Amino acid sequence: MDKGNPRELWEYVLTQVELSISPANFNTWFRNSFIVKVGEDGVLYVGVPSQFFKDWYLKKFHSLLLKIVREISYEFRNIEYLIVKDEHRKPPKENKVVRGALELPLDEFYINKSDNLNPRYTFDTFVIGSFNNLAYSAAQAVLARPGITYNPLFVYGDTGRGKTHLIQAIGNQYKKNHPSQKVFYLTSEKFVVDYTDSVQAGTANRFKDKYRHYDLLIMDDIQFLSKKERSEEELFHLFNALHDTNKQIIFSSDRAPLAIPDIAERLKGRLASGMTIDIGEPDSESRMAIVQKKAAMHGIMLSDEVIEYLATSMSGSIRELEGMVNSIICHAQVKGSAPDIAEVRQSLRSFTRPQKNISVKNVVDKVAEFYGIDEESIYEKTRRREVVRPRQVIMYILREDFSISYPTIGTKLGGRDHTTVIHSCEKIKREIGVDSDLAKEIQNIRTLLV
Amino acid sequence: MHISIEKKKFGEAVHIVSRFAERKSTTLPALASVLIIAGDEGIKMRATNLETGIDLKIEGECATQGVVALPATLLQHIASSLTEEGIITLEHTGDIISLTSGTGKSSIKTVPYDDFPSIPFPENPKNRIVLPGVLLKNLFTSIASCASSSTVRPELASIYLSIEGGILTAVATDSFRLAEKKVPLSNKGTQGKFLIPAKNALDIAQALPDDDIIMSFDEHQCAFVSTSGMLVSRLTNAVYPDYRQIIPKESIVEAVVLRKDFENALKRTTIFSDTFQKVRISFDPKKNSISFFARNADIGEASETLGAHVSGSALDLSFNHRYLSAALALTSAESLSLTAAGIGRPLIIKGVGDTSLLYLVSPMNQ
Repeated sequence: MDKGNPRELWEYVLTQVELSISPANFNTWFRNSFIVKVGEDGVLYVGVPSQFFKDWYLKKFHSLLLKIVREISYEFRNIEYLIVKDEHRKPPKENKVVRGALELPLDEFYINKSDNLNPRYTFDTFVIGSFNNLAYSAAQAVLARPGITYNPLFVYGDTGRGKTHLIQAIGNQYKKNHPSQKVFYLTSEKFVVDYTDSVQAGTANRFKDKYRHYDLLIMDDIQFLSKKERSEEELFHLFNALHDTNKQIIFSSDRAPLAIPDIAERLKGRLASGMTIDIGEPDSESRMAIVQKKAAMHGIMLSDEVIEYLATSMSGSIRELEGMVNSIICHAQVKGSAPDIAEVRQSLRSFTRPQKNISVKNVVDKVAEFYGIDEESIYEKTRRREVVRPRQVIMYILREDFSISYPTIGTKLGGRDHTTVIHSCEKIKREIGVDSDLAKEIQNIRTLLV
Repeated sequence: MHISIEKKKFGEAVHIVSRFAERKSTTLPALASVLIIAGDEGIKMRATNLETGIDLKIEGECATQGVVALPATLLQHIASSLTEEGIITLEHTGDIISLTSGTGKSSIKTVPYDDFPSIPFPENPKNRIVLPGVLLKNLFTSIASCASSSTVRPELASIYLSIEGGILTAVATDSFRLAEKKVPLSNKGTQGKFLIPAKNALDIAQALPDDDIIMSFDEHQCAFVSTSGMLVSRLTNAVYPDYRQIIPKESIVEAVVLRKDFENALKRTTIFSDTFQKVRISFDPKKNSISFFARNADIGEASETLGAHVSGSALDLSFNHRYLSAALALTSAESLSLTAAGIGRPLIIKGVGDTSLLYLVSPMNQ
C-alpha cells in the first residue's frame, strides 16, 4: 500500500473499519466517504456528505479511525472532516429522457469560481487570421512549455480584438492539459480591489500567499494599474516570486508595456521582458471567417453576399461585429429563415455610424480644443509647428471621415491650395502607420466628434 | 419510561415525524425508527434519514423519564388505527414497550438506540430570519415540483433561496422550465442564499407549523425552529447558475388570457398530444386570439381558440403541455400574461396582478 495515495490508503482503512463495526453501520456511514487529501503536516482530510456525518464521525468513529491510521504510520497526527461539494461525489449514472424540448441555456453562464475562467472561451471558438496569427502561435508555445518559452506573455491590442478570448483560452487549455495545476484569471482592477481590501482587513500577508501558489496567473487589462502605486509594487513582488519559480504569467493591455502611462519603470521593464505581441486590426478575410463562425455557432447559414457585406460594411471591433451577427440571428429566428442581403441592410441600419453633416468649423473647434491652441490660428498662414500638425489632422479627418473634396477643404481652411491639402492628408496617413501615439490621438478626436 | 399522550396529538406527531425516518431497509435499523425521549424538557420525538432531521415536542404527561426507539412504519400503522378520543400510555420495561389505549394493549420490541445519530444544528447561525411557517410551506410545495428529479446535477435538484433587501426569492428549474417566486419579509436586515434539496424541502414543508418560525442556515446545514420543535436539512453544496441571464429582456408578442379559458383549452387539447406531449400555441394579434393545437398521428388532432388581448406580431411556439399546466399551480391570479421573445426563446408566464411569480418555459424544437 502506498501511504501517499489517498485512494489506496482509504481502501485499507475501510477494510479495517469493516472488521470493527456492524455491516449496517458500515454501509450507512462509510459508503460515501473518501480521503480528500493528506496534508503535509500529517493531517488526514476525510470528505463526508453532510453535517450529520461530520458530527457522527467525530462522536463515534474518530478514535477508531485514528487508531487505524496510526498503525499504518506515526506520520498521521490527526484526522479532520470536511463536508465536500456535491459535484465531487460520484453522480449515479442515469439515462436522460429526451423530450424534444430545448433546454434553457443555463450551462453557458457558469463561471468557474476557483479560477474565474469562462469556459466559453476556448481555442475551438477562436478564429485565427493574419492579424492574430503571431499571438496564437505564441499562446501555443506558452502551452507547450509553460513558464519557460515566453514568460511573461504580454498581449496587447485595441478593445474588441479578442485579447480576453485568447488569454482565457490559454487558461482553459492549460487546465485541460494539467488538471492538477492551479490557474487563476483576474482583471487588474480586481487585483487592486483585492489588495486594498486585504490592507484594510490587515491580512496583507494572506494576500501575498494567495497569489503566489498559482501555476498560471492571467491578468487582464493591466493598463488600469496606472497610478495605483502600492498595487504596482505588490504586483512587482508577485511577478518576481512567480517568475523566479518558473510559473507562467500572462498579461493583457490595450497598449504596449512602454506606452502605459504612470506605471513604475521597473514594472514596465518586467512586463516587456518576455514576449510582447500585439493583435492588430482584423483584415476583411478574417472578419468574414469570424462572421461565418459566429453564425454557424448559432446554427444559421448566411449567404456569401451577406457575410461579405457584414465584414466590410463597417470597420468596428470584433465585439461590434458580434453584435451585428447576433442581431441578424435574432431576426432570422423570428422569420424562420436566413435573411437575404436587403433584409440585412435594413436590420443593420442602427449599427452603421450615421453620416453626419458636420460643419467644418465644428471640426476645427474640437481639434483646436484637443490640442489646446487658438482656433483662429488654424485659419492663419502661420507655419508654427504646434499649429501645423493640428491643421493637417483636421484636413485628414475632413477628408477621411466626411469625404469633403480637397479643394473645398483648402478654401474652408484659409484659402489653401488643394495640393497642400493632399500632401497633408497623405503625410498623416503615412505617419499613422508608424506612430501609434498619433493614431491614438486621432482615435480620441474621432470620439469627440461623435 | 412511563408517559401518557392524547391519542389525537400522538397520531399527528407520529404522522409528521415518521416521514423523516429512512424508508430503505438496508441501512441502520436506528435510522428507520422514531426516537421517543421523555426528559426534563418534556416528551420529544426524533427521526432522521441523514438528509433531513426532525425533533418535535409533544404535550403529554411524563411519569418516569427514559428513551426508546421504535420502528417508524409500525408506529405509523398503530397511529392510523387509533380512532376514538382518549389517552394512549407508553410504558417501557426491559426491551419491550407496552402501549395501552382504552381497552386494548400491545407490546412492541424496541430497537437499540445507541446507533441513533445526533441531529446537527447549524454551527454558527448568524444568518437567521423570522417568517411565518405557512409562507415557507406554500413556497416549498408550489415550487419544488419545478426542480429536476434527476440527481445528476445536484444544483438543479435543489431550490435556490436568496434573501436580499427584505425579499425572499425561491427559484427551481429542471433546465426545461424555471419558476421564480418572491415573497416579502418583515425584517429587512439579513442577507444570504442557499440551496436546499427539493426532496428535503417537500418533507420539511409537510412538517412546518403555520405560525412564526426561525429559519437559520450556515454553509452546510439549515434549520427551521418553532415553539413545537426543530427541523434540519442538509444543503446542496454547489453553484447555482446565474439564471437571470436566460430571462429574455425583450419581447415580440404579449398575450393576456383568462386563467379559466387557458386551463380548459389546454386540458382539452392535451388529450390529442403526441408522445412528446407537444402542444402548439399560436399568437394572433389581428384576431386578438391565441390558439392551441395538438396532433397525434394515432388518435387525431384538436385545436382550441380563445379570445385574448394580444399585442405584437404573430408567432407559433410548441411546448410540452405538462410544463404549461404546471404554471397554473403557481399562481392564483384570474388572468395570465404570456410573453414570447421569438422562435427558440423561452416563454414567460406571469399572473396578472401577481408580481411574485415568474415562470419561464423553454419551447420544443419546431
